[in-house]
Amino acid sequence: MRVDLSSDEINRNLAEEIAELCGQDVLKCYQCGRCSAGCPMVEEMDLLPNQVARLIQMGLEQEVLDSKTVWLCVSCFMCQSRCPKGVDLPTLMESLRFLATKRGSDHFGPDRIDREVIAKAPQQGIVGAYRKQSS
Amino acid sequence: MKRIGVFVCHCGINIAGTVDVKKVVETLKGYSGIVHAEDYMFVCSEPGQALIRDTIKQKQLDAIVVAACSPSLHEATFRRVAQDAGLNPYQCEMANIREQCSWVHQADKEGATQKAVRIVRSLVEAVRYNEDLEPITVPVTRRAVVVGAGIAGIKAALDIADAGHEVLLIERNPSIGGRMIQLSETFPTLDCSQCILTPKMVAASRHPKIKILTYHEVVEISGFVGNFKVKLLKKPRYVKEGTCNLCNKCIEVCPVVVPSEFDMGLAWRKAIYLPFPQAVPSVFTLDEKSCLGLDPIRCGKCAEVCTPKAIDFDMGPEVFEVEAGAVVVATGFDLYPMSKLGEYGGEKYEDVINGLEFERILSASGPTGGQVRRPSDGRVPKDVVFIQCAGSRDPENHMPYCSKICCMYTAKHAMLYKHRVHDGNAHVFYIDVRTGGKDFEEFYQRAVEEDRVNYIRGKVSKVFKQGDKIVVWGVDTLSGKKVEVKADLVVLALPLVPSAGTEELFRKLRLSTNKHGFIQEAHPKLRPVEHPNSGFYLAGVAQGPKDIPEAVAQASGAAGKVGALFSAAELLREPTTAEVNDLCDGCAFCVDPCPVQAVTLVEYARDGEMKKKVEVNQALCLGCGVCMATCPKKGIAVRNFTADRFLSMVDAMLTD
Amino acid sequence: MEIPYYPGCTLKIKAMALDQSTVAAFGALGVSLKELPRWTCCGAVYPLTAKKIAGLAAPIRILREAKMMGSDTVVTACAFCYNVLKRANKDFTADPLRKKRINAYLADDVRVDETTGEKIREWPEYAGAEDVKVLHLLEFLRDRIGFHKIPVKKPLRGLRVAPYYGCTLLRPAKEIGLDDPERPTIMHDLLRSLGAEPIDFPFLNECCASFLSLTEPERALRPSYLIMSSAEAEGAQAIAVSCPLCYYNMEARQLEIRERYPDFKGMPVFYFTELLALGLGVTLDQAIGWKEHSVDVRRLLESAGLIDKGDAAPSQGPCRAKEEEPGRARPRGAAPVDAA
Repeated sequence: MRVDLSSDEINRNLAEEIAELCGQDVLKCYQCGRCSAGCPMVEEMDLLPNQVARLIQMGLEQEVLDSKTVWLCVSCFMCQSRCPKGVDLPTLMESLRFLATKRGSDHFGPDRIDREVIAKAPQQGIVGAYRKQSS
Repeated sequence: MKRIGVFVCHCGINIAGTVDVKKVVETLKGYSGIVHAEDYMFVCSEPGQALIRDTIKQKQLDAIVVAACSPSLHEATFRRVAQDAGLNPYQCEMANIREQCSWVHQADKEGATQKAVRIVRSLVEAVRYNEDLEPITVPVTRRAVVVGAGIAGIKAALDIADAGHEVLLIERNPSIGGRMIQLSETFPTLDCSQCILTPKMVAASRHPKIKILTYHEVVEISGFVGNFKVKLLKKPRYVKEGTCNLCNKCIEVCPVVVPSEFDMGLAWRKAIYLPFPQAVPSVFTLDEKSCLGLDPIRCGKCAEVCTPKAIDFDMGPEVFEVEAGAVVVATGFDLYPMSKLGEYGGEKYEDVINGLEFERILSASGPTGGQVRRPSDGRVPKDVVFIQCAGSRDPENHMPYCSKICCMYTAKHAMLYKHRVHDGNAHVFYIDVRTGGKDFEEFYQRAVEEDRVNYIRGKVSKVFKQGDKIVVWGVDTLSGKKVEVKADLVVLALPLVPSAGTEELFRKLRLSTNKHGFIQEAHPKLRPVEHPNSGFYLAGVAQGPKDIPEAVAQASGAAGKVGALFSAAELLREPTTAEVNDLCDGCAFCVDPCPVQAVTLVEYARDGEMKKKVEVNQALCLGCGVCMATCPKKGIAVRNFTADRFLSMVDAMLTD
Repeated sequence: MEIPYYPGCTLKIKAMALDQSTVAAFGALGVSLKELPRWTCCGAVYPLTAKKIAGLAAPIRILREAKMMGSDTVVTACAFCYNVLKRANKDFTADPLRKKRINAYLADDVRVDETTGEKIREWPEYAGAEDVKVLHLLEFLRDRIGFHKIPVKKPLRGLRVAPYYGCTLLRPAKEIGLDDPERPTIMHDLLRSLGAEPIDFPFLNECCASFLSLTEPERALRPSYLIMSSAEAEGAQAIAVSCPLCYYNMEARQLEIRERYPDFKGMPVFYFTELLALGLGVTLDQAIGWKEHSVDVRRLLESAGLIDKGDAAPSQGPCRAKEEEPGRARPRGAAPVDAA
């Protein structure tokens, strides 16, 4: 199936909408892939981080919001620290999570974590997980 | 009263699309002094120029104002037309109603039209004050100084000398040859670099018109085009050129061992050394910084064994001045420091090297005799990773620009590696492969298809050591996979940066550069071999990253410009320079502010009294008017740019 | 010297070792770390989307508290808190509109006077970085005291410790500015000044997987495995961390890591402040948070000659506040839980 880039189904303004949410212009990304090369969680992701940026550039919103990738990003900032164009990918990911939780349901909640883990794990991790992955 | 003609250009829709040119003409008819006013589609065209010429003759005009684009484009055109029609060229002025009117007021057509009228009127007032002027002539010293003796400097010197002019070829290193002499083979032909360069080096050394001054540096350049005074520093070599017979006895006894610059630190040299066998001039050099001591003499063994007695510890630095008419800047490049790329292990791991180091490894005359061996343990690497864009195209952290030659030399490196290590693997991590030159694309495809170089599209994130391997973490964006290579050797394609020390040198010489230190060209498209400062020409990577064919072409271009400069019997300079009148009383406020030190205070006797007045060197003067601005007495003014003229222009602009 | 100290929620419950060793170590340096009288969670993570007014309120409130203590500095030990407070301070200072809105919001706050029981609604405005600077302990040690001035009573005898920096301490580098993000040396320098041998290793700034160990526990094992294997390959005997979550990921889950990666050997993990306290001669029960170490550290410390076999110290065991119900607030300033 060809993706029709001239059709109205593409969200041509996706890059601008994301820019409004997080101040990042995704068109700065020239797809070098360095972010993906250095991401600690990339092996678990379905879309590579640079592919997430690419799909936003193309306006293919749904594929990005349906991916596992945005939920595996922990904002470690390794990608941003090495990006030659200064694209703040963690911030971009956060705005995608924001859109996803607005439109769908939360990715994390009390039903998704063991009581035992809550008992052992440091609160900063619990608070962090809630804030990053739920609305 | 001067009979003035006004010609208003449409410039297609550039002007006429915004400014109502016909209304401008109508409004101006009948303005004091204007005896002819006309509009035309493109006055710079041949018929347009003919129209002006004929009208001047027919209507016996004394001066013209051409209302059109910027004088920086066509002032010369219309002044020539005026001259052809029998007027002094300085009786022609241009009124810029395009860049300064129609192009910036496209939303306000009425306003733009009114503004255009005011602009033209002000130039009409101005031209009333214009006096007939003749260009100033200055003599030309027909000698060129070429700074930097790499391939660009050598080529420029040869071309200028072949045209019959004297050339001083200055080089701060002990030998000429620059970067090209360090290379193994050159793309796209895979010619042996030294084999094609040394004939040029020898030709330069033999040429009767070229004087090679190595181990010299430029200290200062004063003067102006055609009449430069170049101050040079001759660094002491402590070895007499012509007497040294290259017997090598001194190297055997010298106790000091330091890394060799020519071999990029991969091999050693002694404190007294010849940088490479084909060095020109072929004379040893004693590096005083690494020598144990010359004053007092701590060692002296080299002098003891030197049979021809060529070593002279008493040599000292010499500063002297030469006259020249033109200067060619060909100071070349260095590589960006690898230590700035912490995530690539630069300077931390021995087996992460840069392109020039790899060239020395590949070179048949290099530290490994042309065998590909890695620096740490001398093993032949089975997996070599080449990382393109290691610091280039990185506006966030390193250099924003593309260094142009890395895609090609990386392909070359990978191919040469494969030619020597048949069972080795060459992996090239790239973002793009840029192969814009002639035969370049075919060269790259040969690397992939014939030599089976593995190209992976993705920028490497991290390089780290694991055991005796260097692990490279990258990604293949085309297939969407994160990849890693356990390499034996990693070669980084680092950005090209201007040679060390040129920042200070260019600042001293008042030569403008871009923000990365590459010397400025007069116009990026149309004047690529000259600097905006008259008399300075550019060649090679000093002006920006480029490959050898481009450097050579630019060098020949610069040489051509120098030839043109030298071909005139005299040089013509614009006469709109500062003139001192009798109101000057020698207060000398104008002396210091002059940016080219053209104003001097002179004392003279008159009627038994000592009087003071300033004098302006007409050849040096730029006509900038700073002296005028500082003068409280109206004693100095730039010809055809007097204060009264300006005030009339302002009045004309502000009157309705 | 008295310095306002912001421990953060985790240090009071799940990372008491970090809190305890910090306070003890600094006490030995003559610095009294005075906990802010009123503080809350800082939010743990720094909000990244543009609509971040609300997310700045908590951190700024904490900084305002430090200002009200009359100080221009607040010190924190937790890397997450450091990251949040530092970035909040910077963004707040840079945007006058945000400043105004947050100050207005925080002006509605209420505090209770401890003596009179009166409700007070007056608050000073917080001006930003010119009021209070956020310092991590490492920064404080390096810049205000100087590593070479640390009075080491019990040198660590060349113990080979791999300093693990992680993410939040270093990045985003332009905003945090603690050290070079690719080649940091601040913890190396501290360890060296304590007489330990810092072991440089390539994974010292790679992420440990952070809170993914809570949301996707299986997927979060690999990063910790890679980090510790790298340290081990370079010859480290132990790893020093600065963040309770890194500690949890690498210390508390070593069995799970070994299950997944059979070649994983594992090693003791310390908070760097535990080693600092040890070097300063702090008593063993205060220096080491024995109950929070599930991986045995006694053997290593004994074999390194840093403790004698007979030294009295509480026996180890997984702590994790098993005795308490999760979520119950602990009284501030209470002593750590006694040995069971």
